Amino acid sequence: MNVKLAIGVAGTVACLAGAALSLQAHHAFNAEFDANKPVSFSGTVTKVEWINPHVWMHMDVQMPNGKTENWGFEAGTPSVLFRRGFTKASLVPGTKVKVDGYQAKDGTRRANGRDLTFPDGKKLFMGSSGTGAPYELARPGVDTERK
Amino acid sequence: MAGMLRGSTIVTALVAAALGAGAAALTMRGGEQAARPAGARTAEGRPDFSGVWQAMNEAHWDLQAHEARPAIVTQPGVYEYEYARVPAAPVLALGAAGGVPGSMGVVQGDGQIPYKPEALAVKQENAANWIDRDPELKCYLPGIPRAMYMPYPFAIVQGTDKIQMTFAFSNAARVIHMNKVEGPPDDTYMGHSVGRWEGDTLVVDVTNFNGKNWLDRAGNYHSDALHLVERFTAISQDAIRYDVTIDDPKTFTRQWSISMPLYRRLEPNATVLDYNCIEFAEEFMYGNLRKEPLVKHWEGETMIVDITRKIPPGEKLHEWYRR
Amino acid sequence: MRRRIFEALGFAVVMTVLAAFVQSAASGQAPAAGGAAGSTTSGNAKAGPPPHTPWGQPDLQGIWLDEFDTPFERPAQYADKEFFTEDERKARDEKTAADAGRNERANRGTAQDVAGAYNAVFTSAKPTGRRTSLVVDPSNGRIPPLTPEAQERNRIDQEFRLALLQNTPTCKNQAAGCRGGKYGPPSPRLNDMAPFYNTQRMNRHNGPEDQSMGDRCMLGTTPDFNGFRRIVQGPNVIAIGIDTGQGQGYQRIVYLGGSHPPKSVHLRHGDSRGRFEGQTLVVETTNFSPKFPYRGAGENLTLVERFTRLDAKTLEYSATMTDATLWTAPWTVKQELTMQSDEQNRIYYEPRCHEGNYGLPSLLVGARLDDKAFREGKGPNPASRDTATCVNELPAEREN
Repeated sequence: MNVKLAIGVAGTVACLAGAALSLQAHHAFNAEFDANKPVSFSGTVTKVEWINPHVWMHMDVQMPNGKTENWGFEAGTPSVLFRRGFTKASLVPGTKVKVDGYQAKDGTRRANGRDLTFPDGKKLFMGSSGTGAPYELARPGVDTERK
Repeated sequence: MAGMLRGSTIVTALVAAALGAGAAALTMRGGEQAARPAGARTAEGRPDFSGVWQAMNEAHWDLQAHEARPAIVTQPGVYEYEYARVPAAPVLALGAAGGVPGSMGVVQGDGQIPYKPEALAVKQENAANWIDRDPELKCYLPGIPRAMYMPYPFAIVQGTDKIQMTFAFSNAARVIHMNKVEGPPDDTYMGHSVGRWEGDTLVVDVTNFNGKNWLDRAGNYHSDALHLVERFTAISQDAIRYDVTIDDPKTFTRQWSISMPLYRRLEPNATVLDYNCIEFAEEFMYGNLRKEPLVKHWEGETMIVDITRKIPPGEKLHEWYRR
Repeated sequence: MRRRIFEALGFAVVMTVLAAFVQSAASGQAPAAGGAAGSTTSGNAKAGPPPHTPWGQPDLQGIWLDEFDTPFERPAQYADKEFFTEDERKARDEKTAADAGRNERANRGTAQDVAGAYNAVFTSAKPTGRRTSLVVDPSNGRIPPLTPEAQERNRIDQEFRLALLQNTPTCKNQAAGCRGGKYGPPSPRLNDMAPFYNTQRMNRHNGPEDQSMGDRCMLGTTPDFNGFRRIVQGPNVIAIGIDTGQGQGYQRIVYLGGSHPPKSVHLRHGDSRGRFEGQTLVVETTNFSPKFPYRGAGENLTLVERFTRLDAKTLEYSATMTDATLWTAPWTVKQELTMQSDEQNRIYYEPRCHEGNYGLPSLLVGARLDDKAFREGKGPNPASRDTATCVNELPAEREN
């Protein structure tokens, strides 16, 4: 068994080997982003594209050399957030966000937002901003603050 | 052109007669299951626009009046005159099948689109860079009003509190809310449509556009400030007069409007067949990113076409897909 | 056809798999007033009688959703048991709620961590329904066996996919994604044409056709049991708009008259003709396309669906799939759909997956750079890396 798999991979990996139905709705992030190019930034949101299949967040990031660069971060699909009551007004330009992720293989200023949090560490979009989708199971630590 | 049909009492009476009386005589698609003949009124007495429809004009090429053109992409010919331009390389092999038909135009009033000066420059750049910029070529959702007059059929399903239009082009759709709903959580390609009846006219307010669409193939475009007011009025049970008032203070100096008939597809068994162009557009959109080029070379009797692809550097590649 | 294989790797936290497109279903409550187990918004005695349109048809309009998570096929351990006990449902819900999902990170700098992609807040979790499976016929809750021809096609197809994985750690470590395969040098089949029209992810990115349908934003197929369905109904034609997956939604038109196109006409979601039989809308759909197979069924698929409005808030939906070239018998799925709030308008019906698919060109460019690095001796052979299977990724949770 792959030792790396044994550490930290969340629980059961249910392998949907070749299931006909698109059980892998999102694309292969490993083909797009480079595990050898981790990035970790704090920045200010300039624009959010609430698009499918993935939200793209654009941020002005202060680099170590003092210059400001604008980066794009690929996140998840907005559909679930919308149903919970989030809208495009939920993350407005000017908001400060921390991103932990991996840069695109082509070296452009794009990365995946593996972990998106506010500067205080609270995960982005946790908790619904409206009445939410009433049928959903709330997951502590995912959808709400962990008890 | 449309002036003669503007809500005159006589016309209204004729329309009412046509809708109310003759509907049953129409040949229906497999009518044995139909609960109501096509074109009849609803229980509330409204016109019923359900059916398969299509515009029949040249608006999708260019909303404004124009003479026929040799091609959608042209280059200078032997002479310097504008009228002597010739098809350019991307479309040369199509010969006369690649030309642009002429049109009396659908823009009302003086026929001009009242661009702000900087917006007009963008329109002209759009036209000059049609292949790289027109979202239609990428099979992106066409937006409203463009979807209404693209040369593909669409179905109107008139329900009790919603009217849905489903378009053949890329399976696009719009839902006109006749009841109260919240706005969408983000801006959209196809707009957010809210409708109401004014007598026999369906009036629709369309807002919440993301500004990514064009209005035609000539580079006419709008911003995310676009607000449309559409009016659907039956000319007969097989034709609708479709009027649109276009308001976009970021792009135009004033409101302007277009108008055209929409025609019912009358053949028995009229069906909207998909035009699922995402796959059709893949070679165009991603062929330059293949490991081995796929579409490279074509040879006819008088012409050889060789295609070389290129990859825009860095972020420019990604910007190309955003348009 | 492929079957899903759930595999516990024995870690402390056991995750319930919430696959993005699992055709999971509803509670399948008996259609009677008063069976109100489960969510407060599901059909209940107070919901009122089923309404009719002004022209006298049963009114099917609204936004409908299966609010429960139900395994598509009955897991083996439940054998003939049709319903979960309340304790079993609670236990499943507890597992789901306790699971951190994508928030749990693998080691930084590993492919597994990249594959985690984004925070779990972008995925959703539904409560467990009453039924042990969505499939209600055959009575064992499982799809009938595949025909020998179909099994052979699958074998050939799987052999090819495994060949593409041959040189990867997935096969070296005999991980689940390599089951049936072996480890070895890069396969000589690496640049072969896929044996059949590819719809799944594979460990190669030579062009868009090597990507899964989801990657190409062409994923939504009919039937769909997972998504939100908006039904707009006229007397002669009905529109069904489906919002499913990551913007993979699509539109169907059901004509209440007319006839199917000629067999040679293949449509992504088939051609649907419906009629009311009593209070039930029966829809027959044919003319499906080999390019958009449903679980492997393409142009030979016949789909018969039944829509019955049980009460003001509940729509019973069943779908029978027949394809004698693929399945040895027809099979049927049944689910109960609950009316969603129309006024909230948060079900984002505009799919716009293709319009936002920046990931696809990015992925292809990445693959070209990997090719280039390898050619110049600056990087590993792309064939030695697995960018396809689930072992290399966290499970695909429900993203709709």
